[in-house]
Amino acid sequence: MTDWNRRKVLKGVLNGAAVTVAIPILDCFLDGNGEALAAGAPLPTRFGTWFWGCGINDKRFYPDKLGTDFEFKEETKALDPFKKKITVFSGYNAILDGQPNLTHWSGIMAALSGTVPSKGGNGVGTALASTLDCLVADHIGKGTRFKSIQTACTGQSNVSYSMLAGNTVNPSEVDPVSLYKRLFGPAFQDPNSGDFKPDPNVMLQQSVLSSVKDGRDDLMRSVGSSDRARLDQYFTSLRQVEQQLAVQLEPPAPAEACVVPKAPEALEPGTTWEDATMMHDKLTDLLVMALACNQTRVFHMALSAAVSNLRKAGQSVALHELTHEEPIDAKLGYQIETTYFLEQSMDVFASLLKKMEAVKEGNGTLLDHSLILALSESNLAKFHTLESLPMIVAGSAGGRWKSGQHINGKGDTVARVGLTVQQSLGMPVGSWGSGANATSRTITEVL
Amino acid sequence: MNISHISKRGRLSRIAIVAGAAVSLFFTVGGISAVKAVDEPVAQAGPATFRRLSEDQYKRSITQIFGPEITVPGRFEPPVREEGLLAIGASHVIVTPAGLEQYAIRGREISAQVLSEDHRSAYLQCGQQAGATFDSACARQFFGKYGRMLFRRPLTDKEMATTLGLAEKTTKTTSDFHRGLGAGLNSLLVSPAFVFRMETVESDPSRADALRLDTYSLATRISFLLWDAPPDEELLNAAADGSLRTNEGLERQVDRLMASPRFEQGVRAFFIDMFGYDQFDGLTKDSAIFPIFNPQLRDDAEEQTLRTIVDLLVTQKGDYRDLFTTRKTFLSRSLGALYGVRVDQRAFGGWMPYEFPAETPHAGLLTLPAFLMLDPSHEGRSSPTIRGKLVRESLLCEKVPAPPANVNFTLVQDTNDPVHKTARKRLSAHNESPACAGCHRITDPIGLALENYTPVGAYRSHENGELIDPSGTFDGKPYGNAMELTKLLRDSEGAPACVVQRVVEYGVGRTLSSGEEAWLGALSQSFAQEGFRFPALLRQVATSPAFQAVSSPALSSPAIALR
Repeated sequence: MTDWNRRKVLKGVLNGAAVTVAIPILDCFLDGNGEALAAGAPLPTRFGTWFWGCGINDKRFYPDKLGTDFEFKEETKALDPFKKKITVFSGYNAILDGQPNLTHWSGIMAALSGTVPSKGGNGVGTALASTLDCLVADHIGKGTRFKSIQTACTGQSNVSYSMLAGNTVNPSEVDPVSLYKRLFGPAFQDPNSGDFKPDPNVMLQQSVLSSVKDGRDDLMRSVGSSDRARLDQYFTSLRQVEQQLAVQLEPPAPAEACVVPKAPEALEPGTTWEDATMMHDKLTDLLVMALACNQTRVFHMALSAAVSNLRKAGQSVALHELTHEEPIDAKLGYQIETTYFLEQSMDVFASLLKKMEAVKEGNGTLLDHSLILALSESNLAKFHTLESLPMIVAGSAGGRWKSGQHINGKGDTVARVGLTVQQSLGMPVGSWGSGANATSRTITEVL
Repeated sequence: MNISHISKRGRLSRIAIVAGAAVSLFFTVGGISAVKAVDEPVAQAGPATFRRLSEDQYKRSITQIFGPEITVPGRFEPPVREEGLLAIGASHVIVTPAGLEQYAIRGREISAQVLSEDHRSAYLQCGQQAGATFDSACARQFFGKYGRMLFRRPLTDKEMATTLGLAEKTTKTTSDFHRGLGAGLNSLLVSPAFVFRMETVESDPSRADALRLDTYSLATRISFLLWDAPPDEELLNAAADGSLRTNEGLERQVDRLMASPRFEQGVRAFFIDMFGYDQFDGLTKDSAIFPIFNPQLRDDAEEQTLRTIVDLLVTQKGDYRDLFTTRKTFLSRSLGALYGVRVDQRAFGGWMPYEFPAETPHAGLLTLPAFLMLDPSHEGRSSPTIRGKLVRESLLCEKVPAPPANVNFTLVQDTNDPVHKTARKRLSAHNESPACAGCHRITDPIGLALENYTPVGAYRSHENGELIDPSGTFDGKPYGNAMELTKLLRDSEGAPACVVQRVVEYGVGRTLSSGEEAWLGALSQSFAQEGFRFPALLRQVATSPAFQAVSSPALSSPAIALR
């Protein structure tokens, strides 16, 4: 295959020949630097949020030293192989500013929406502003089949910390078989197959949706003002599905590392640690390839609910209950049973990073071309503390984010991280958040 | 009129209605005058609602309109429970892009099935041989009939023209008339006019400056209240000819709906919502700790309670309050194993009517496994607090505040504590903390009375070798065990008042406005006078003028009818 070159391959495609491009795609699709497609478009940047419930043990989680010369502690040691690609944020707080601490809710919403919520608690509630993944998806997710993909590992589709402003949860995919069908089912077009033919059924579906849209104005006039926004959202969602269909009518851009995964076998969800991590493994297999195959550029993954019901098989008490009920070991200074889950959570996160690192793109990896914000809803879940909310960013957004650092916010708002993420992804955002969490202060160390 | 008040527990209390509140309503529909003297107040109502169909409602709509052979594919967005009901949450949820994607898939696949060679003759009386030719009259007939059933009102001229245009264009593109019809049907299925129940209003000629639902929206409210399904053709006809506006016509339709086999599905749907049975979806218990638990037992537990409810309330036309104490239920084989009762399911289609003997500790909803296992957050043990909260919130319509954020539970539930072996002893720590005691005094006594029942519903006398003490007080009245507690609950004012409140909220899809408290009070009174017969309550709500009334203040500009 060494005598293949870009010109030859593209010539075959353009001539309509059923060229099947070998996988992984050849470097001939890339420019000389390996950081952009030959057509000039840079390799895409991806963004994800990765959530685990019930926080950390501060002293076992955060490195002692700041800057680049830091060492991971017990609860983060699983990230050691990726140290240069990790940014640890400590000392960034969810600032309540007089609002109640809505348990297992205020922290996650403050971090992801920059705004402390006013309604909710016990891991559910409303969002006063849309979450970061939705904002980023609006910016970088429009050109792919799916603007974003949400997933969760315990079988409950409402476990998702991807929210539109209001009470709307972007529901999670919880079943590998249906996620596979959605991503790689009949509507999937292999970006590297080279034998693209527009599907007439997609065009038909477009005209159906267009017809529905024709009735918009009359329907909008028929509902009261308070419901108009909800109806308007329906048509916004409809337009997004139209855009997805439009993407399917264009020849897909080649995706260097896209390897269409095999259809997964059915997997029964469960809440034991073994069940949930197995589910995470199966879902992330698909998710990583969805990113590599340009089906989406944004994702949200919830390992557990904020009120985590993960437990060891045969044990009567789940993680959330453990955080509240298990005594702190006087000698060790932490809760032993609880900590098992917290420590292992970073192992699971590391497993995702490993998969992303294994996907080679240009001169780097899928992880290099991504930013993944891993976070939990509280620091010490036992007391629902919101100081130094655990946040770790993996990846470097294609070189636009300086990773390999431990940065302390000295009590500043968590929204600074979200603001900086948006700016690093090229979003024209000067300030973000509201109330005491409003900020225009970029974390300059990473840009 | 006495002014109603909200009780300290947040429940709308009973309201005394004086004669001055009663009004007589005069209707004029299509030149026919009808008079209804109504002994209930029609005060300020709440706004019209815009409710997303639930998964069950969507599926039932398709089955009712096209028959059970048409399958409904795809995944539905999770419902949202607000103020105690999914029916209220449905008035606030939106459709996300992922949700819309699923509606598009469903629309495509359902329309393909309906217009498939195998099925279309059941829906089309014309155009069988149309081939590539667009048969406009046939298409109009098809969309007229099924569009009206899907939208629960006739298509507007513009909607019909758009749908016909799409069908014609697709027929030309594909050279297939039936694919053209399929595209048109697909567009109706993806329209928000189908996916949402869009209530439209009109001026109420009987009350100055007042609004009411139009007849199609009224028909829809009634059918979803009684069937949890859309109006059938006869009810839509009654909306079309205006007979639904007359007392006789309204009562005739309500009685017809209540006599239908679909009424049972409506009653089930209401209690599934009120009692939070949506939580059964995916509910599990640790089989290592409770080997008897399996998905079959879970599903049977839910079905057992629903059968018990329907039998008592619909078949026997019994007193709603007896749900708390009835010993009559039904057993499947897996439930028989739980109770050690031999179940001869062959004679009863899998479910054997059964009455718990008087001396056994099983009577009423609270001791059935459905209630006892309905705690998704505890898979390995029971939580008296959660059980107590469920009774307070689901059965008594009370609100239990959330715990403070900084509470330290360490002393509360160390299950290895050699001193505090039972849940009661462990929970006693709550009462020593002022921050906790207030709420736990509301929830825990009820839950502790139920500690004699395991998280899968089996009876136990001891925990960790120590005798369980199920005694306590409910609203100041002492009880020795769960059997005595259920009698107190049965005779409480809160239990029947709660179901009245929930029925109305479920019917109108929102919390009640202050202007509706008098109506609620009147309904409670009638409910009592009717011997707490649940069907009578539903009938009264469905035929009530207040059920049709709509306010305008919440709307910056009143919604207008499409027609």
